Amino acid sequence: MSGHRIGAITSRLLHQFRRDRRTLALLFVAPIVILGLLGYLIRGSASAPSVGIANQDQGPLGATIAGSLEGSSKISASTINASDGDAKLKDGSLVAYIVFPPDFSQQAQQGNIAPEVHLEGSQPGNQAPVMQALQDALASLAAASPSAVHFQPKLTFLYGGPGLDTLDYFGAAFIGLIVFFLVFVITIVSFLRERSQGTLERLMASPLRRGEIVVGYMLGFTLIALVQAAEVLIFSLAVLRVHNQGNVLLIFGIETLMVISAVNLGIFLSMFARTEFQAVQFIPLVIVPQVLLSGILFPVSSEPKPLQYLSDVLPLTYAVNGLRDVMLKGADLTWPSLQLDAGVVAGFCVLVIVAGIATLRRQVA
Amino acid sequence: MSTNQPAPGAQPTSDAFAVDADNVVKSFGALKALDGVTLRVKTGEIYGLLGPNGAGKTTLIRAIVGLVAPDSGTVTVLGRRMPDLDILAQVGYMTQQAALYPDLSVEENLRFFAAISGAEGNVTEVLKTVELDQRRTSVVANLSGGLRQRCSLACALIHRPRLLLLDEPTVGVDPQLRVQFWEHFRMMAAAGTTIIVSSHVMDEAERCQRLGLMRFGKLLAEGTPNEVRAQAGSNNLEEAFLRLSGRDTE
Repeated sequence: MSGHRIGAITSRLLHQFRRDRRTLALLFVAPIVILGLLGYLIRGSASAPSVGIANQDQGPLGATIAGSLEGSSKISASTINASDGDAKLKDGSLVAYIVFPPDFSQQAQQGNIAPEVHLEGSQPGNQAPVMQALQDALASLAAASPSAVHFQPKLTFLYGGPGLDTLDYFGAAFIGLIVFFLVFVITIVSFLRERSQGTLERLMASPLRRGEIVVGYMLGFTLIALVQAAEVLIFSLAVLRVHNQGNVLLIFGIETLMVISAVNLGIFLSMFARTEFQAVQFIPLVIVPQVLLSGILFPVSSEPKPLQYLSDVLPLTYAVNGLRDVMLKGADLTWPSLQLDAGVVAGFCVLVIVAGIATLRRQVA
Repeated sequence: MSTNQPAPGAQPTSDAFAVDADNVVKSFGALKALDGVTLRVKTGEIYGLLGPNGAGKTTLIRAIVGLVAPDSGTVTVLGRRMPDLDILAQVGYMTQQAALYPDLSVEENLRFFAAISGAEGNVTEVLKTVELDQRRTSVVANLSGGLRQRCSLACALIHRPRLLLLDEPTVGVDPQLRVQFWEHFRMMAAAGTTIIVSSHVMDEAERCQRLGLMRFGKLLAEGTPNEVRAQAGSNNLEEAFLRLSGRDTE
């Protein structure tokens, strides 16, 4: 071992870093951006889930509990009509609503506390705070009551059901994300290789049109990626048994759109990298923020407002939302929300195809 | 794009020339890679571009094939003002590095380049021409440098171009193979193909019908090998080249 020779390697590495400003920036800027984003997402997250309360109780108890729920910090409660409840769950303005039936007080006197809890059901994370708030409100009551009471809430789910677990929620999104991510990486690297091995120069010196190159690439990669997408889908549904309430072909259709956009995003961004090393650096820049902000991990509606605007312009947000709507809620193409999701992702495909063709330069220098 | 009329600004005699570059200027930042180059190459001629590294040979070849857009000046190839995608179907271009797909076999590479020029029928024959028919199924990544270079040449020939641009085709090629390459070039030129070949190997210059000496982005001298020698007052082409390019033998 020679300290001098080891030192030569170390100092050469540092010199290389000094020349590669982009890698340096990535090394020191990306962690701050990503951690900052994550911190803001979690700490700054808007508030408690919105819960509607409909009090039909003819006795006094319903009003008392409703009052204490409104004071709860775990949920953000508001008074609604029971008949509006389902519509509000559907349009996403509420994650749950609680109904105190007309005989609520009467039942309670017989030791039976049975509020109706209607949950939206597609987001498993929302059930816990609602039940927690309800139990907190009842706890103070139970302490005051001499006789034993049974807390027997009647749970109903608009979508999914009590059997829906975290994998069902994340699985729907990850089916799309995995395919998007892998296809993006493979395309950007292989298009860059075409440049670095000199074959792109040869193609450019042939009668090939730029659009022919981009569309040819797109078809080739899409074909392989669709096989992968089918594999991912079959594995998720048949082996992992991820909950699916919708049409499998529709899921595959959304995946196809994601594949096409990933391929063309890869082609487009390969123009901005000189080496395969730099191409891989696009992953933290392009993929990580999308993973954090597209609603895969944290529902977009609970993000801090400024980040919601950002989420609203990320194509992955719509793709993830579309996949969840189909798989958890059984959405079909008659749903306006799915039309929007599919439309935005399709629009993004067109945008990156055009951008890829426009930026593919014939000139090598 | 007009097909029959001569391009505006082209010389009236431009049809006689396979390549007619007129006062081409191209800068990359502060570097003038081409500083007013005028080059006329007759149909069926083997024209050698000589010059040290960085003289502008590659940039000139790229400007001819349309990969470099000149800042000023015009390039006319086979009667068409460049850039013109359609005329590229009749131009073969062999880059300095063997631009091939390393994961594909020799034949698969050839079939691909044939397909984009609509010349699938020529594959077998061109494989024979470059004597790669025994190695047609070899994957390019496993080939030696010389074989790779041969495969690269085959890809440039596959569509039987009327104009062949070769950027230092014999770099890394052993002397025996180099002789074979030049044998092909001579046969093709005899059959009417125009060839522009860049090199800094002087014994190759000897085999060209005309030479152009480049340095600092300029064409310093032009003529047959004999004319170049006479111009410099030297019997030796290497010495002539050094004298004409302003560098004395050290």
